Amino acid sequence: MPEILTDEFYILAIALLLPLTACMLVSQVNPYHALVIRGILGAVAALVYALFGAADVALTEALVGTMLSITLYAVAVRSSMSMRLGVLDSKTTEHPLPSMDSVLAALRPPLDKYYLRLEVVPYSNLQDLHTALRDQEVHAICESLEPRQTQPASLTVDDSTLENHEPSYRLHIRVRRLYNILQAALPDAIAHLTYVNVAASSAAASHSTSSIAKPVEGHL
Amino acid sequence: MNWVITIMILALLIPIYEAWQDNSIWQKMLAFASIATKTSIMILVVSVLRDDWMIGVVGVLILSVGNAALMLLAHVLRRINDL
Repeated sequence: MPEILTDEFYILAIALLLPLTACMLVSQVNPYHALVIRGILGAVAALVYALFGAADVALTEALVGTMLSITLYAVAVRSSMSMRLGVLDSKTTEHPLPSMDSVLAALRPPLDKYYLRLEVVPYSNLQDLHTALRDQEVHAICESLEPRQTQPASLTVDDSTLENHEPSYRLHIRVRRLYNILQAALPDAIAHLTYVNVAASSAAASHSTSSIAKPVEGHL
Repeated sequence: MNWVITIMILALLIPIYEAWQDNSIWQKMLAFASIATKTSIMILVVSVLRDDWMIGVVGVLILSVGNAALMLLAHVLRRINDL
């Protein structure tokens, strides 16, 4: 009888690891951290199943539950939790855009708070940029308000004063939730934000085709 | 023989605690690797104690294949950091 009791003891101790890791899993906020903890939960679950003599269930849990599902979820989270920002390719435009990095740097912290990636999609000209926004290829586009005059090298000292007096970039955002997030977080000195209702404008533009919601919408 | 498994459970709690309190994704991945290896070794020890070859084969399979999941996940995470 005492032997059975001690035998029960380590089975009980190992079985208690399962709710422990499950509580760790549900307390995670970052989706990528949750995926790693899900792998830990799968390993502990495989141990418990093998302990109870269910070898086939343990093998299935280790191979499918841990390996396959985590990889698929990681790909799914990576491709869905991102903000695609269309920009003009600086190599092809005649006006160099010096402070585009400042806009991107200002965009990253509020997006990081919601675990969103910032994916920059370059376009060669302005028309392609607006077409991409209308066709819902990107969530937002960033364009300069006025093309800056290319200045001689002697006047580079005035560049800092030029940049400070008004924002030189405008962000057109077609996702309402992204607009709300960025409007609260982005200082107005860096870029103007405008919300573009693509569905209404595209319906007005083309009466013949019914506007079908594409599955490109970022879910937040 | 019981104290062997008890010590292993206590050793398993170390990376679990590490995965819980550390906020770096790579530290969590390392803890995951540690736990995956420890649990499969525990399956092997239990199979030897019970003289059960079926569980032993499963333990060997999990030990050898389990790190492939880690490699796949690490590659996906590395691509995220690149963008």
